[in-house]
Amino acid sequence: MAIEAVDTRARGLRSRREAEVVGLSAMLRRLDWVLMFALAGVVAYGLWAIDGITKHDVGGSAVTRQGLYAAVGALVFVAVLFIDPDIYRRLRRPIYFGTLGIMVFVLAAGAATRGSRRWIDVGFFTFQPSEFGKVLFVLALAGFLAGRARSMSSPAAPLAALGYGLVPIALVFLQPDIGTALVYTAALAAVLFIAGIRWSHFVVLITLTIVVALSVLWLLPAAGVNVLKPYQAARLTGFTHPSSDIQGATYNLRQSITAVGAGGLRGRGVLGATQTRLNYLPEHATDFAFASLAEERGFFGASILLLLYLLVVWRALKIVASARDLYCAIVAGGIAFMFLFQVFVNSAMTMGIAPITGIPLPFVSVGGSSMITNFLAIGILQAIYLRRPSRRYS
Amino acid sequence: MASTAGGGRFLPGDPRTSEPYRLTPQTALRVAILAFLALGVFAVLFLRLWALQVLSGDRYLAQANDNRVRTLRVEAARGPIVDRNGSILVTNVPGTRLELWPADLPKTWHAQLKELQAISKVTGIAVPTMVAQLRQHGSDPLTPIVVQRGLRRDQVNYIDERAAQFPGVQTQDSYLRKYPYQSLAAQVLGYVGQISALEYKQKRTAGYQPTDSIGQAGVESTYDTYLRGRNGTAQLTVDSRGRPKGPATLVAQPSPGETLRLTLDIGLQRAAEKALRYGISLAHSGIEGAHADGGAIVAMDPRNGAVLAMASYPTYQPSIYVGHPDAQKLAPVIDPTQAAQANYPGINRAIDAAYPPGSTFKPVTALAAMQEGIVHPFDQILCSPDFKAYKQVFNNWTNLINQWIDLPTALGMSCDTYFYELGRRFYVLPADRGHPLQGWANRFGLGELSGIDISPEVPGLIPTPEWRRQAYPASQGYGVIDRTWKPGYSIQMAIGQGQILVTPLQMTRLYAMIANGGNLVTPHLADDVELTGPNGQPARVLRRFGAQPPQPSGVDPTALHYVQQGLEEATHAAFGTGVGVFGNFPVNIAGKTGSAEKNVTLPGDRYPQNLTQSWWCGYGPYDQPTIAVCAVIENGGHGGTAAAPAALRVFEQYFNKTATTTSHISD
Repeated sequence: MAIEAVDTRARGLRSRREAEVVGLSAMLRRLDWVLMFALAGVVAYGLWAIDGITKHDVGGSAVTRQGLYAAVGALVFVAVLFIDPDIYRRLRRPIYFGTLGIMVFVLAAGAATRGSRRWIDVGFFTFQPSEFGKVLFVLALAGFLAGRARSMSSPAAPLAALGYGLVPIALVFLQPDIGTALVYTAALAAVLFIAGIRWSHFVVLITLTIVVALSVLWLLPAAGVNVLKPYQAARLTGFTHPSSDIQGATYNLRQSITAVGAGGLRGRGVLGATQTRLNYLPEHATDFAFASLAEERGFFGASILLLLYLLVVWRALKIVASARDLYCAIVAGGIAFMFLFQVFVNSAMTMGIAPITGIPLPFVSVGGSSMITNFLAIGILQAIYLRRPSRRYS
Repeated sequence: MASTAGGGRFLPGDPRTSEPYRLTPQTALRVAILAFLALGVFAVLFLRLWALQVLSGDRYLAQANDNRVRTLRVEAARGPIVDRNGSILVTNVPGTRLELWPADLPKTWHAQLKELQAISKVTGIAVPTMVAQLRQHGSDPLTPIVVQRGLRRDQVNYIDERAAQFPGVQTQDSYLRKYPYQSLAAQVLGYVGQISALEYKQKRTAGYQPTDSIGQAGVESTYDTYLRGRNGTAQLTVDSRGRPKGPATLVAQPSPGETLRLTLDIGLQRAAEKALRYGISLAHSGIEGAHADGGAIVAMDPRNGAVLAMASYPTYQPSIYVGHPDAQKLAPVIDPTQAAQANYPGINRAIDAAYPPGSTFKPVTALAAMQEGIVHPFDQILCSPDFKAYKQVFNNWTNLINQWIDLPTALGMSCDTYFYELGRRFYVLPADRGHPLQGWANRFGLGELSGIDISPEVPGLIPTPEWRRQAYPASQGYGVIDRTWKPGYSIQMAIGQGQILVTPLQMTRLYAMIANGGNLVTPHLADDVELTGPNGQPARVLRRFGAQPPQPSGVDPTALHYVQQGLEEATHAAFGTGVGVFGNFPVNIAGKTGSAEKNVTLPGDRYPQNLTQSWWCGYGPYDQPTIAVCAVIENGGHGGTAAAPAALRVFEQYFNKTATTTSHISD
């Protein structure tokens, strides 16, 4: 056992040095080309979908804007390939506290304007820190956990990580952006899980989460304490009883389900998709993009997108398994699960099987911050894969 | 993780970070669990998608096709605008608007054209106008297009009774602006119009809809957020041809706009507008005022900057914008050539036009000279028929005088040569003293925006040597001689001539500053915003705008005293230029005439000619001033002929007293 471990490490280190000195061609060869194909496919498909979805909106098709975001994202993607992920681990503290600082700034600015503020306006672009924060959060938390890997069996390490994780979650929750807070929570669970938290601890945490969710949504309001604003609670629980309030909280949901259903097997086309074109389906360029796609392109069109997502998730999990070290594995696991969670919650909510939250559909929903963040995430996966130990393939 | 402990021996470094790593069975298991979870998640998604789209697709398709709920906008009544005493200046009358719903119009171009022609026959709106509007908003088929707001009763009945012939056409309750006093304070009030595409783009985040009306000028524009109220919504189900199935149900009640209370006084405003016309007719009867064709009067409370009256002539009726505007009636306000012919009735000359101030500027010269120590109020300077300096001759306005006088007398008789001498003294100041005359003019609010709560406002111009250098660049072919500040400029500026430009409001603010002992007020028109009562009357104050505290201008009270004295002599001493107008008015008024020469190209003329702008500015009562007034009559001749008698009319209304005008000395 011990000899094997030494052997593995020695080879792993050698390959790491190799990766640094090998040229561009070797780097290209080491990329995960299946993941590259999935990425290119999902981006191209997303642009095509969004062109149809926004064609009849005020202001016209958003595909040019979205294409521009994708181009910026691609640049970020390429840049990230050249960065050794270990740098993120060493910089975990600046990353963590920097992200926190920007989030506090956004909250303070929002408080100053007395409204919900998730964006920072930098002139040409409104920048949404909580979106970029998703990836930074995983990078920082993975750093804390990788350093405490040997003490994971005691409750202290998971508790510390929990403490680190809950602060940004609370900040995002206060923005208020419940959807993104849920994504952060999912990412936290994923990194703990991959880092090797004990099963018993994990079960306790999941149970606690369920208890908190139940009390926020049902028990505390019943006792007269409202943590959420009524409209937020209505959106979260509306999917369990969709016909309760047709014009109110569940209006969007009903229109969304109608849109998906009306799409049928082959879709209604851009012109025929009245739910989207006549604006019955609100936010169809962002939160409800999946419903709009399903209406216009039908079961076949929606399935292609889901299959491409599945491909991305599959390759991401493969990268977890082939990672060079524990840190990279935790990062890859966090990103993979976060991606899966976003795809699920967004598409499931448009079909009435998940609560309605403002989570963007990766690579499809119109929005620069989300697009660039997703490119960043996949770029980090590729960067990890590039620096994998070569034993499995030699 | 199982075998990491043994590895530390072989390589140095931080054992926590460079620990050897190998996919442990435990991690592999967890990755596998995640993979199964992913598969499960996607299975659920595919199943649900299949269930919705394939198994019950037909049902949802039928639902989508039957999805014909239209969200209607229930217009909120726009808030009324009242004067300081609560008398209504602008209010609403109920009207009906005609809307086109692009989604419900006939699908073929031919049928659509036929329907538009039928609408045109009923309403008189040209088909191309409607087509243009449809094109503009074509991208959003569920936002109606408002083609007309002021539909007549019979037109409404005709369309409502033949709803089947007009798919996609709807009549909705609306409100129209009503102006009980017609053109009174037109430029101050502004008007309301359909939001433009550009405005909508800028204001959509503030909750504006593409079909909204919005205040387009004056206080209607500045205080639109308070006046507009909040529209309600109703929902209406229509059939496949866009015909309503049953009545609309109200979803959200509209809340009416708030009442805006202005500082204006209707009586004084009316008197000021009448006085302007009176001043112009007086000018016409004089020799030099034959071309008088416009002007402005501002009356202000000198203690707080509340504007009591703001008149501008020529004017227009804001009601031309109401309903479906008639292009012919609008032409004098929006068409450039027609506007020029009508002498720009849409312009608020009190703030948006600048004139040379002439002798009304002399108090600034006097104050600046005393502050800078270049003259003492009791210094005797020769008032002569002309003033010779730098090989140039500068004429006094009268050549019947040759006498040594002090500063108050110079103001009272408006002696030009006295001020030429001060201008010369400013010119010869050493360079390190800067340009104190211009500096003090700026400190008194000239050459900059007054900050009044309506726009557009022009800043005017206080020329300086630096300005001259920049305004005449070599790149545009100007020579060194054009860029040089010559002594004549300083000498001319001392009597308010040359390139100096001021607005009537700036001058009123200046005289308010003289009246209140040296504090610069912020002119304002809005007093407060109040809840609108059930019968359109203001009910409860919601937000008070009120007066900003006056800012000290830094002027010496003693120096100011001699200027006040000079202004009082101008209206009361035997030699005063305004004594013929104000001399026997029961209230003690102090003020200054002005006759400013300006090169004006009259409509139809090719070349400009030198015409005199008639000014009068002053305040009263002298001891406890409660009102400051400035009047300017464009091309009206001497100040004493046209502007001063016009200003007197405003004081007569304000103090409710009359005066008998006698003969007058001019300037």
